[in-house]
Amino acid sequence: MTFLIRTIDTTADGREIVRDREVAEETITIGRRSDNDIHLPDLAVEQYHARIDRLATGKLRIDSAGTLGFTLDGKTIRAAQFHPEAGAELGFGSYRLAIAQGGGGVITITVQRASEQVVSSDALSGFSLGGKLPGKRAMAWIGLGLVLLAFLIVPITSNLSHPPTPPKAGISDGVLMDASWSPGALSLAHHGLEDNCQACHVKPFQSVRDTTCLSCHKDIGHHAAKSKLSIAEGPMSLGDKLQWNVAEAFGKEGPQACTTCHREHEGAGRMEPTPQKFCSDCHGTLDTRLTDTSLGNAADFGTAHPQFEPVLFTAPGQIKPQRVSLDGKPKEFNGLRFPHEMHLSKTNAVAQMAGTLSAAKGYGAALDCSDCHKPTADGTAFKPISMEQDCGACHSLVYDKVGSTFRTLHHGDVEQMRADLMAMDRAPHQQASNGLIAGRRAPGVYGQSGLYRQNFGPPVRSLVAINRAMQPDGVCGECHIPVTTNGKLDVMPVNIPDHYLVHSWFDHSAHKQEKCTTCHQANLSKSATDVLLPGIKTCRTCHMGPDDAAAEVPSSCAMCHSYHPGTMGDPQRMLPAKNGHDAMNKVAMLWRKGP
Amino acid sequence: MASVPGQDQGFRERRQSSDHEGFLAHKRFRWLKIAGAVCLIAILGYFWSDVTPHPNGGSWYGYTLGTIGAVLIVWLALLGIRKRNMTEGRWSLKAWTSAHVYLGLALIVIGTLHTGFQFGWNVHTLAYGLMMVVILSGIYGISVYASLPAALSNNSREMTRKEMVEALAAIDRQLHSAAQPLNREEADLVIAALDQDTFGWGLGARLLARYRGCTTTTALAHFASDWSRPVGSDDPRDKVRALLGKRKTQLDQIRRHMRIKALLEVWLYIHIPATIALLAALTAHIVSVFFYW
Repeated sequence: MTFLIRTIDTTADGREIVRDREVAEETITIGRRSDNDIHLPDLAVEQYHARIDRLATGKLRIDSAGTLGFTLDGKTIRAAQFHPEAGAELGFGSYRLAIAQGGGGVITITVQRASEQVVSSDALSGFSLGGKLPGKRAMAWIGLGLVLLAFLIVPITSNLSHPPTPPKAGISDGVLMDASWSPGALSLAHHGLEDNCQACHVKPFQSVRDTTCLSCHKDIGHHAAKSKLSIAEGPMSLGDKLQWNVAEAFGKEGPQACTTCHREHEGAGRMEPTPQKFCSDCHGTLDTRLTDTSLGNAADFGTAHPQFEPVLFTAPGQIKPQRVSLDGKPKEFNGLRFPHEMHLSKTNAVAQMAGTLSAAKGYGAALDCSDCHKPTADGTAFKPISMEQDCGACHSLVYDKVGSTFRTLHHGDVEQMRADLMAMDRAPHQQASNGLIAGRRAPGVYGQSGLYRQNFGPPVRSLVAINRAMQPDGVCGECHIPVTTNGKLDVMPVNIPDHYLVHSWFDHSAHKQEKCTTCHQANLSKSATDVLLPGIKTCRTCHMGPDDAAAEVPSSCAMCHSYHPGTMGDPQRMLPAKNGHDAMNKVAMLWRKGP
Repeated sequence: MASVPGQDQGFRERRQSSDHEGFLAHKRFRWLKIAGAVCLIAILGYFWSDVTPHPNGGSWYGYTLGTIGAVLIVWLALLGIRKRNMTEGRWSLKAWTSAHVYLGLALIVIGTLHTGFQFGWNVHTLAYGLMMVVILSGIYGISVYASLPAALSNNSREMTRKEMVEALAAIDRQLHSAAQPLNREEADLVIAALDQDTFGWGLGARLLARYRGCTTTTALAHFASDWSRPVGSDDPRDKVRALLGKRKTQLDQIRRHMRIKALLEVWLYIHIPATIALLAALTAHIVSVFFYW
């Protein structure tokens, strides 16, 4: 058996010199010394580096002589066995030994010096992702550029090139990309300004100014005089002082500014009501600082709120109404005799009368509150009581019949009444015996004809009739209190207030699910002097402070009060949500009110 | 080695202790504790501050968290500069990296609380989203650094990357000479296998280990399909088949290595560009707030 050792040398000009020699041994040695069978002149190779043995099985075994190994097919090892037919490549230093078995069992070992380093560091970098993806640096620059362009450069240049657009609903200011700056949708009241950031943000880097708010909200009232406000607020806490120092350093207008209470970009829908603490901070202990105030302290509707003080006429003939606490069980003199209980009875003559008139007037088996108290169109309050409409169906003022026409006294005009009754005798007319005039004598007693007709007195002289009309059981005196004004017969003026609370409002439509008598005990009231307003205790069965978890209706100050006066007291302006013209001034109380 | 016996004992102890303590566990998780405390304070403050009508980035607490968050983001991004400069001691790169990881995680809490959970299609939420992308990719990076190097050394079986490439080259040289007797058609198959760039595969192929159009596989399939000759015949095609098999095995090892490397490296291709984009979005976020103040 022989090894054929083929040495391939490359000359300087690239020409290959091939030398073959045969070694007829079972073992050959490899090393740097020239007495090896395969002599490799490379300092990286040991003097006697390894030996190759041909085994009886036909395999080759390679062993390192020293501590340095060799490579077999690129892998560094110190000993190996393999079948020469399969071929292999050994590596010693810079030399490569290709082993192959040809025909006749001759094993060829081709020795060649590797021309250069096969594996460059470039090749190794292929393991990494580098170059397979866009570079990190390139991607970073592109991302940086895109974000700055889209969200900073475009909106700023566009803003600077557009003059502010007047704040009108639905008009865009034309500034590009600044919608991307909006931290949240505007409230319902300002929704029309969604595309016009400059309506409020007038100057770059300047906080929203009060003057900008007031350019629309022109009629807003001041809560109190500035001097009073600062006394009422008292000194700021250290934390607040610090906050405002920072805020003012950044150009905020200060604690009195609109935006302190009215926060925008809090999401679509109604503007969030001002939190209770903005009120209770002052009003909770107002009397300790504002010693001359007539207002009671109020910090929370459920736990710290004074009794209601409605405005009432408390004595006959009073010119100016007066605020009185309900705690003192005040009496009201509105100039009428009107027992609610009698009118709401289910069994008495009034109920029978209502039953008789039910077909013509739409009454039920007895009178009901709503038969006289008609809600306003928006349902929040009630229309004024009208004698003709609400009383006249029963309390008829018919005094005569001429032909087929009834003659009716003019309500509200005592002089006219006198004239009409005086003239009654002068004209031919049906006599009392016909049943028209000879009506009933007192409520609940029917006339001779069985019809309910007012008795103006016996058919005697007219002046007597007039006097009788003014008697407590007469046509006028039944409801009114007769007085003498400037020597003439008159009745006391009637004052039926259409609202009692001047510093808050009440929405009846929001309380539709309740019966009237739940709050107003009219069915038990025997006198018109009873004040039928419910006290705070009644309200508190449902309404407690905003933090009361058990309350049926947690209620903050803003549910009933507005910070800005001019929005209160005037019934026409009481409920802005339903009086569109004034809605701008009442954003705070929109909370919890249906659309 | 420059180590001299009797040299500063304390220094060597410090060296030793830092040698076996990774940046995650640095100084007994000092930065984990600090970051945890920061998160706790931020959360407690969030409920204590009781911002009305609802939590908002524009409240005093929101601005406080926002300022802390912005400073943190800039500081965290500075690791990219800091890491190029290795030092020891309190402000060693390891301490810095440890702080980077844990304060970066704390930023999830600080940033999220700063939003007041109000999100929208705007530059503010963009900045938040980019911040979360950066943090999440960082979490991925930490987790692969913790788990994959073991897999990497497992796969290499004591071979260096250089040896893998050299082994492939050795097989290729044998393949080249063994294929000499083949006809044109089969020789072309071998040429195609030899010429294909081992590292010419993209991210998808590397991550999914799906090497469509691998010419070694194609050539192997051709030679392996022909079993007409008896085992042990010295037909050159059998030798080529055996060598192609070896080549494929070596290639598989290299490819497993590439896959793990890709898994280890890919997050940085998100983490770093997203960080830079975040810095831009953060700038736009802050400038826009004051521009429309």
